Amino acid sequence: MSEHDYSQLGAYALGALDPVESREVDEHLATCAECRAELAELEEMKEFLGEVPPEAFLDGPPDDGDLLLQRTLREVRETPARKSRWKPWLLAAAAVVVVAGVLGGGVLIGRQTVEQADAPVPGSKVVTAADATTGATMTTTVEPREGWAWIKVQITGLKPGDECVMLVTDKAGKTWTAGSWLISDKAAHDGSRFGGGVLVPPDQVKSVEIKTVQGKHVVTTTV
Amino acid sequence: MMATPATEYFLGWAPAIVPTVSANQGPDAAETFVRALYAEHGRSVLAYATRLTGDRAAAEDVVQETLVRAWKHADDLDQSKGSVRGWLLTVARNLVTDRARARAARPVEVADVVDRPPVERDHSEAVVNTMVVLGALDQVSPEHREVLVELYYRGRSVAEAAKELGVPPGTVKSRTYYALRAVRAVLAGHNGEVAR
Repeated sequence: MSEHDYSQLGAYALGALDPVESREVDEHLATCAECRAELAELEEMKEFLGEVPPEAFLDGPPDDGDLLLQRTLREVRETPARKSRWKPWLLAAAAVVVVAGVLGGGVLIGRQTVEQADAPVPGSKVVTAADATTGATMTTTVEPREGWAWIKVQITGLKPGDECVMLVTDKAGKTWTAGSWLISDKAAHDGSRFGGGVLVPPDQVKSVEIKTVQGKHVVTTTV
Repeated sequence: MMATPATEYFLGWAPAIVPTVSANQGPDAAETFVRALYAEHGRSVLAYATRLTGDRAAAEDVVQETLVRAWKHADDLDQSKGSVRGWLLTVARNLVTDRARARAARPVEVADVVDRPPVERDHSEAVVNTMVVLGALDQVSPEHREVLVELYYRGRSVAEAAKELGVPPGTVKSRTYYALRAVRAVLAGHNGEVAR
């Protein structure tokens, strides 16, 4: 292998060189710190590729799957599309375990140890806070969007008939209204879920406050 | 290269899970939606579930449940092929895991599940999972993607891949290198492809 022939290293990292070439690379690596460093980065990417199963590259419908399709269609016809069924989202957020400091120092791959089966929205932040005075508890999820944020809240301890407003404060101190809603008997009992979008970059969301339309503070989470 | 904030890193490709109304229109919409997913991704998800469960019948149940969940979350899935497929594969894997766990005797207490630490909040950290990597593979050029599929996912040698792709072995090698660099660049939040 010629000096610093990086182009061999990719195939080497993936184990695709023939034995002779592979040995040449080994010999060069033994003497070249620069190539070893380069190889380490490529091997990191190889680990990332391992997050995707090989089946991801198959296309089309399954063979002999018509019965499966028919069964699925039958079930789906009886299933209404998402009636704001958010119940698992708190868990979904918790499932976003996995953390990697990307670049700079090295990348860790985590595996998801997921407690339920819905895919998480990557990059979400979840915060829970309780207000001792009002008795309300709120879990806030900030989901990243392209230049804005989608804020979901789940609140318990509200009273039926409360008219709530969601206010989002960004790090510059500006407050945005992300919508308002009415608390039904059921929501007061089971917890109320609400979502709204604000034109604030996700990492700029500082806090989320719920007030009543009449201006009374209910609960705040600091993100 | 600087570490890129997680948020930025996701914005490039990520889940434009902008709500759309398309999914909420009754049985016909449901049928169209599921048929489309099935036609495009069915083989992929079923093959994966079959490998994980080692059982075609169980795998079919997983696929069925995955598609039903996709329908329930149709609003979230109005996206490019890569991330939809990544979503489906992730859900399928989680279903298999859940079922295995359910079979493994100990009932999972709800408190057990809820009491987990919330999502990592440090902006310099990010989630890397199936959806993210598959999303990245969708962003690199087709030549780069294809060489990684051949060498990594299909386990081919350079010589075999060269024959398969109809390019010289030297090209396969250099493309592989640049492909890995390109994936890294995408994951690091840099948009530009690496040269070549």
